[in-house]
Amino acid sequence: MTPPEPGRLPSADEPLDDADIGVLGDIRGLFESADPMPADLPERIRFGLALRDLEVEVARLAEEDQLAVAARGEEQSRTITFDSDSLTIMIRIDANRDGTVRVDGWLAPPQCRQVEIKTAAEPLTVASDAQGRFAFARVPCGMAQLIVHSPEPSSGDTRSVVTPALII
Amino acid sequence: MANLLSAARAGSEDALGQIVNELSPLLWQVARSAGLSQGDAEDVLQTVWIRLITHLDGIHEATALTGWLVTTTKREAWRVRAAGRKQVLADQDVFADLPDQGPGSEEQVILDDQRRALWAALGQLPRRCQELLRIMAFTPRPDYAAVAAALGMPVGSIGPTRGRCLAKLRILLADGPDGSLA
Repeated sequence: MTPPEPGRLPSADEPLDDADIGVLGDIRGLFESADPMPADLPERIRFGLALRDLEVEVARLAEEDQLAVAARGEEQSRTITFDSDSLTIMIRIDANRDGTVRVDGWLAPPQCRQVEIKTAAEPLTVASDAQGRFAFARVPCGMAQLIVHSPEPSSGDTRSVVTPALII
Repeated sequence: MANLLSAARAGSEDALGQIVNELSPLLWQVARSAGLSQGDAEDVLQTVWIRLITHLDGIHEATALTGWLVTTTKREAWRVRAAGRKQVLADQDVFADLPDQGPGSEEQVILDDQRRALWAALGQLPRRCQELLRIMAFTPRPDYAAVAAALGMPVGSIGPTRGRCLAKLRILLADGPDGSLA
């Protein structure tokens, strides 16, 4: 193998030139087709960022299971678990016959809190009981985000807990 | 970007939304090159952006914002991998499957050959270089140094200079398909 001509061997110490910028642009194009970001992800992120309360704790998705329960095929049940430093939120999503979904949830450790589900339509709010259980009977399909509000009056440093936006 | 950042800090949802649109493709590549599945990468990006809201007050410069986002994305990706809740494709060979652009004109075929040559050259680089160039390709130019620092690369290695990875890639491309630095 003959060494490349000294004049055109690009050294690492030189500043970026137009050819470098061009190559980087081409690399971007390659990865945009090889591993594209889902087109609707920025929209879901923006949906999840529209929070009134900025002192929040973020619950991360810990586990998701999908079970086909009914023979009809279109009816499915999903359970999703979110973890944050102070709280575990588990929800089960079942399809209603009218095209909406039912969301049953549990908070651990069990406690009474205001639980809000933000949807593309109006947000819905329910209270969890002393066992930490809560339920939304009819939630429109689409993007949704759970917010477990801080207790009122606010006790110590217990903050609201939010989940990432999900598609239900 | 600086204007968007100050508007976002003042509470503009619209400005924050534009920043999300602008920088999410970069964070996607950061999360994916850390070996996360698509689903995990989506979760990590959402988590990172929600966490940004609580940190926005302390971030005053656009480059610091990009650096913070990349650092936090990497950290979250490590956390998810360490939790090991899903099988991680640590050795995923992303360079095996460059998707076809579909049938096309002669011009398209030549373009396709160039894409394949670049893809093959990238595949010959050390993994660290692959990751760096992949992420740099999605980084706004003024933020190169901040992102390099966030990736644990010495700033001087890719700040205003070409850096070893890009230099190697250009040599590989100049040598053609049979050239090898190995």
